[in-house]
Amino acid sequence: MSLLTQHDSDTDALRRGTRRFLLFAALVTLALLAAIVVRQGLFRQTTNYSFVANSAQDIVKGQAVKIAGFRVGSVSAVSLKDDGQVVVTMEIDADHMRFVTYDARVELRKDGLVGSATLEIVPGPDKTRLAAAEARLAFSRADGLAALANQVRDEFIPILKDIKLITGVLADPQKGLPGTLAQVRESSEALKVLLANGNSQVTGIGKAATQVLGKAEQDLSHLGQTLETANKRLPGLIDRTQQTLEHVEKITAEAEISVPPVLRDGSAVAADVREIVSGAKQAWPIRNLVDAPAPATLKADSDPRGEASRAR
Amino acid sequence: MRARTLLLAVLVLAGCASTPKPVDPPRLKAALEAESDGAKRHGRGDHAAAARRFDEAARIFASIDDTPGAARNRRHLARAELAQGRAEAALLALDLAERGSGFGVTLGATLDTLLLKAQAQLALGRNADAQQSLAVAAGLCASTCPQAASLHLLQAHAALAGKRALEALTHAEAALKLLQDKDEAAETGNAWRLIAAARLANGDATAALPAAHAALDIDRRLALPEKIGRDWLLIGDIQKRVMRSGIHSDGAGETAANAYRRALDVAKAAGLADIAEIATQALAEVSGGKQAVH
Repeated sequence: MSLLTQHDSDTDALRRGTRRFLLFAALVTLALLAAIVVRQGLFRQTTNYSFVANSAQDIVKGQAVKIAGFRVGSVSAVSLKDDGQVVVTMEIDADHMRFVTYDARVELRKDGLVGSATLEIVPGPDKTRLAAAEARLAFSRADGLAALANQVRDEFIPILKDIKLITGVLADPQKGLPGTLAQVRESSEALKVLLANGNSQVTGIGKAATQVLGKAEQDLSHLGQTLETANKRLPGLIDRTQQTLEHVEKITAEAEISVPPVLRDGSAVAADVREIVSGAKQAWPIRNLVDAPAPATLKADSDPRGEASRAR
Repeated sequence: MRARTLLLAVLVLAGCASTPKPVDPPRLKAALEAESDGAKRHGRGDHAAAARRFDEAARIFASIDDTPGAARNRRHLARAELAQGRAEAALLALDLAERGSGFGVTLGATLDTLLLKAQAQLALGRNADAQQSLAVAAGLCASTCPQAASLHLLQAHAALAGKRALEALTHAEAALKLLQDKDEAAETGNAWRLIAAARLANGDATAALPAAHAALDIDRRLALPEKIGRDWLLIGDIQKRVMRSGIHSDGAGETAANAYRRALDVAKAAGLADIAEIATQALAEVSGGKQAVH
């Protein structure tokens, strides 16, 4: 009997333990579920806005929506209308509704020219009126690589047309480059004739000038003789002067190299030694041992150069 | 051991506790050091450097309104200039010394200035001015003042320049007497040289020779090239006079020529152009004279 009683009590204890464990597991599971729900924003208050685009290119469901670079929501739906336009619905946190003005604009931007696309809500200038819930906002695409290429193409086409026009004009045989060159050739021939006439007139003047020059030549020949004499004497003198100058230059150069460093070194060493000695003299206890120099007395010498000796 | 350590500690403490020596103001110290350095250089015969240092000292003394110090250094400067043969510069320095002295100038300083002035004037050939300076100095040095010997020597020099050989001899001998037992080798040498020159001028060449040799001995000992050169010139002059007088003239011509050669050698070695020139001329004269005698 006692054995049966003992078995019942053990079974009860086991049941109690099992129940407690199951209860604990259920609580943990609930807590995890609550955390997931909160994390997923199921209890978060949101507001929907939408915009219409020509194309759904670079727009996908779940795509981030930002305000001033901060993520404030995501694209909740992308749908095609009957007229071929695309309606994009965005879910924005209620906390950030205050930034979405009624004139706000949604821009599709790319990080760099080829980066990932994001939707950015750009608030309008009038900050006093906010957009109503479910409002439809304006939409624009920022210039991507394709837009840039299109812009370049649009700029280039007129330039290419102009170049084509100019080359056409230049190639024209009458008004273009060939015609101009023919005109220049004609002008140069006329100039040649003019110069030939001028030359014949100058020859007449030249004869008169030749006579004057003849006289000048005679005078110059006299001058030449004088200079020749001077020339004979000058080289020797110049050579000697040159040699002397070279010698002086050499000595000066050597002195320039050797003297200043020696002087500088000597002066520096003397200054250093003087400084060291004067420093040592001022230091205790040396300063107590070294007396300041007394006024000097020079030995008398009434004839320092011995000049009084010669009595003749 | 413990007693020794204790004694050492007591000594160190006593040293630290002793009253520090009064330190001279830096500018005064700089002036005194420049003066002392100048004196050392003057003693070594580096008269140009000595002059620069004395000039520096004089300027520093003047800048701290120490007129006696400035005047003293200008007198030192005058000595250095005279030793370089720059008598004009010496006179200029002495003028500045006199002008800066003002009141309170000592008799010794005045006498020094007067004697240096006379020395410069004699070097410039301004004998009358020198006589005047010496007369004033003689008036101040009536008894035996410390500068008496120098005064006599300068008087002898002036007398010799004025062709008063006897007076020169008297003064030079008086100076020599005063210089006996005194540590004044340079002045003693000067005295002997003046005695020799005075005796020679007086026509007593035989007596002049030992005096000239005495001067040479002293100047050699002092290693003074200029004076040695002039002593040899004087010896040459004396020997030449002996040669011309005909008394004891055997070999005198050769001895004179040797003396002039010695003077020339010394002058060339020391770079003394004026003495070298005199020696060369004298040598040529002796050679010519010797030929004439023979």
